[in-house]
Amino acid sequence: MPAILRSAQAAGPVKLGCLFSSSGTMANLEGRLNYVVKMAADELNAKGGVNGRTVEVLVSDPASDWPLYAQSAKQMLQQEKVAALFGCWTSVSRKTVLPVVEQEKGLLYYPLHFEGDENSKNVVYVNSPPASSVLPAVDYLMSEDGVSAKRFFMLGSDYVWPRTINKQLKGYWKTKGIPESAWKEEYVPFGFSNFQTLVNQIRAFADQGGGQPVVVLTVVGNSIPDFMREFANQGIKATDIPVLGLDMVEADLEGLDTSKLVGHLNCWAYLQNAKGEANKKFLASWADYVKAKSVPFKGDVAIDPMVSAYDAVHLWAMAAAKAGSFDVPEVSKAFGGLSFDCPSGYKIGMTGENNYVSRGVFIGSVNDAQGFDILWQSKDTPKPVPFSPYG
Amino acid sequence: MTFRFAFLVLAAGLLGTAPALAAPLDRSALVARLCGSAAEMGEAAGTLITLAASGSAEDRAFAAPLARAAMEKKLTCDEAGALLTAGGGTLDAITSAPRAEQGASRAPVLSLKNRAVFELADAALALRSAASPAERASALRTLERKPGSLPDGLLDAAAAEETDAGLKGQIETLAQTAALNASDIAKRITAIGRVADNPSRRALAQVGALKQDPAYAGDPAFRAAVDAGISRIERGIAIGDTLAALYNGLSFASILFMAAIGLAIIFGLMGVINLAQGEFIMIGAYVTWLVQEGLRRAAPALVDWYLVLAIPAAFLVTAAIGVALEAALLRHLYRRPLMSLLATWAVSLFLVNLVRVGFGTQNLQFETPFYVTGGVPVIGDFIFTWNRMFAILFAVVTLALTTALIRFTPLGLNIRAVTQNRDMAACIGIPTRRVDMMAFGLGSGLAGLAGLALSPIYSVNPQMGQNFIIDSFMVVVLGGVGTIAGTVVAALGIGQINVLIEPLWGAVAAKVIVLLMIIAFLQWRPEGLFAVKGRRK
Repeated sequence: MPAILRSAQAAGPVKLGCLFSSSGTMANLEGRLNYVVKMAADELNAKGGVNGRTVEVLVSDPASDWPLYAQSAKQMLQQEKVAALFGCWTSVSRKTVLPVVEQEKGLLYYPLHFEGDENSKNVVYVNSPPASSVLPAVDYLMSEDGVSAKRFFMLGSDYVWPRTINKQLKGYWKTKGIPESAWKEEYVPFGFSNFQTLVNQIRAFADQGGGQPVVVLTVVGNSIPDFMREFANQGIKATDIPVLGLDMVEADLEGLDTSKLVGHLNCWAYLQNAKGEANKKFLASWADYVKAKSVPFKGDVAIDPMVSAYDAVHLWAMAAAKAGSFDVPEVSKAFGGLSFDCPSGYKIGMTGENNYVSRGVFIGSVNDAQGFDILWQSKDTPKPVPFSPYG
Repeated sequence: MTFRFAFLVLAAGLLGTAPALAAPLDRSALVARLCGSAAEMGEAAGTLITLAASGSAEDRAFAAPLARAAMEKKLTCDEAGALLTAGGGTLDAITSAPRAEQGASRAPVLSLKNRAVFELADAALALRSAASPAERASALRTLERKPGSLPDGLLDAAAAEETDAGLKGQIETLAQTAALNASDIAKRITAIGRVADNPSRRALAQVGALKQDPAYAGDPAFRAAVDAGISRIERGIAIGDTLAALYNGLSFASILFMAAIGLAIIFGLMGVINLAQGEFIMIGAYVTWLVQEGLRRAAPALVDWYLVLAIPAAFLVTAAIGVALEAALLRHLYRRPLMSLLATWAVSLFLVNLVRVGFGTQNLQFETPFYVTGGVPVIGDFIFTWNRMFAILFAVVTLALTTALIRFTPLGLNIRAVTQNRDMAACIGIPTRRVDMMAFGLGSGLAGLAGLALSPIYSVNPQMGQNFIIDSFMVVVLGGVGTIAGTVVAALGIGQINVLIEPLWGAVAAKVIVLLMIIAFLQWRPEGLFAVKGRRK
């Protein structure tokens, strides 16, 4: 862009783009992230903006339709000239956006924990790869403090994230000397709801003996509550067969009677019950924001991707301020050494090595109030490992 | 004299301390451990289990609320010990006297491992000291799951005290089961018989493990008992698996049938491909939810029966929307099938977004009344789940009523006539337009009922209808357009085939294979399973 245009533009606000669906299957989860990004931008503007310019957030609706994410991304980068994109939940949508941001030299902040095995200089992976989310949780289940898990039933939706996660888990178990007969892998189509037969299979698997069984659940969207409902209905408790729901958040428990699900697990880089001032502040500002802007989501529910999106906006602002520019290459160069007081209570940071963010790890346990209690949390923030040695 | 007195005191002291020597309970130490690390909490739970078996009645009464409170997070640890939340106030865990919180407090979270032990402790204590037989029976069911980890003497003591004759028998049976690894061969043989009475894969693993036992090689009677037990259990499992497959197939079929029956009537009668049918299902579920919320406000005592009370509302509201849709939009498009397809699709998008804006995108919160909660184990690994049974019964009743309506009422006669030959029916004076409207209303109302029947099984949100539209078209087309019998047979067939394929090749493959089978079948018989006799348009 010619310098003269750039200075002419400098008077106006700097734009950020959101790629979160407000309709379709992902709407209930992704929709709230639009508002979090706006809330974080408001915080920046209250402090005088970034590099002397106010921040404006543009929202799109890719309607849970994966190719539409790429289209919206292209439009935002080419027409709106957004300084950074914040978006995607499923790995499928990230994979469709990836070529667009690489071609247009944009910057995408991705707020979900995911399968790793990717390191684009145009994507900032705000949440954890498996080495610092799934593996610690599985380790915990296998440990003496956990349930000494010996057998694993992997149940996932049929797409890249569950398949890659399960591939890495199998590789990991092999290094631990667990025989192949100790696990079973099943996949269901997107939006699958009829889990009767699969829960029967899980019971049969568990009753074969040979040690404590666990379910590693990587189904997404509405399959999560539908699975949990059937699981409880067939009389299985967390103390019989615990479920580790890798994509399970508070929002998935809305509408379920969780008194029969108490004890099932999830693992994220943030849980609402995290201790510390930063979390209190975040929860209070979210509740206020929901009230003030009449946001159609619950003001008293905060999930990890919300916090990650919030962190993302602040990390971007810090990098842009440090670089003194909104140009993607300049901003990227400033990533090394950034750190931010995340609501999770950890000081999260980036190194110049890759575009990953080091985060803390939480293991949550479902309680009877449709939320998660913190069962275990890491001492500090483990260094993120982008490429798994197990897959 | 003094000597004698001293002797008496000594003897009394000995007598008094003798039982206490076996299990001296230090209440404050127990409570301190409940507030300690995960390992200490585990030890505390172990103490609670021992108390259930051999503690005094007082100690058991003291321990029972502790185990329950730890599980329900009603135990709060503060600087002066621990508190129990009961009713509106807080009681000191040791003295049971009302007391307020002192200093910083926290409610310890049970780790999964400890939760299992606490569950056992709670059930063991409840079996000994719960007031109502129902509570003791439910405690016994929890203990039955882990017969190996029960302390010695617990079941004998419980059986001795039990006043309910039926429950006493059950406890004795469980006690015999627990003797599987005892030293007395006769007891072990009885235990094998008892275990084999309730065949399941877990039982098979237990009895199967006895083949490695030295007694299996040494004692022919024991060997025969083990072999007989195994074959009995295997037979039970086979029966259970067959029943489970049939039940799962039937339950999936009932869902498919409920989703498709309304469509069968609309599509069969008017040839209108109604893409908004799934949204009528969704609206039915939302109406059910509104009825539940209304009852919660107006008549809280009846809330449990909302699923039954919502039946007329779910039917009438969706039927009214269907009639309005037909009158306002579809009747202008009968001669243009492609347009009606696009129009109903637009309606479906409109309805989804209307609900999304009005109610939000989250899953709705439904009460789960007792008649759709949990299940009963029947035989082998077959569990008869009530929410599925509700859907099956609902489908059967809907089928009966719809058939009666079509067969025996004037409206049904008209619908059949118009379905067979629209022009001829018009010629003999049947008001075909009015019949269309009524039939569309009926079809929509049936979709609303489907929404009601599905709400205890699936998540209810604005998108839920979209999952059903393809499945229900599959059923209608396979069954033969416009026949109820065809819809029933197609739903049963697709449901059962799906359930049989799923365990073999997975849910994804099951969907693909079923679609391929339907394509192949329609190549051979394009009119479906049951074709309506008469001249086709």
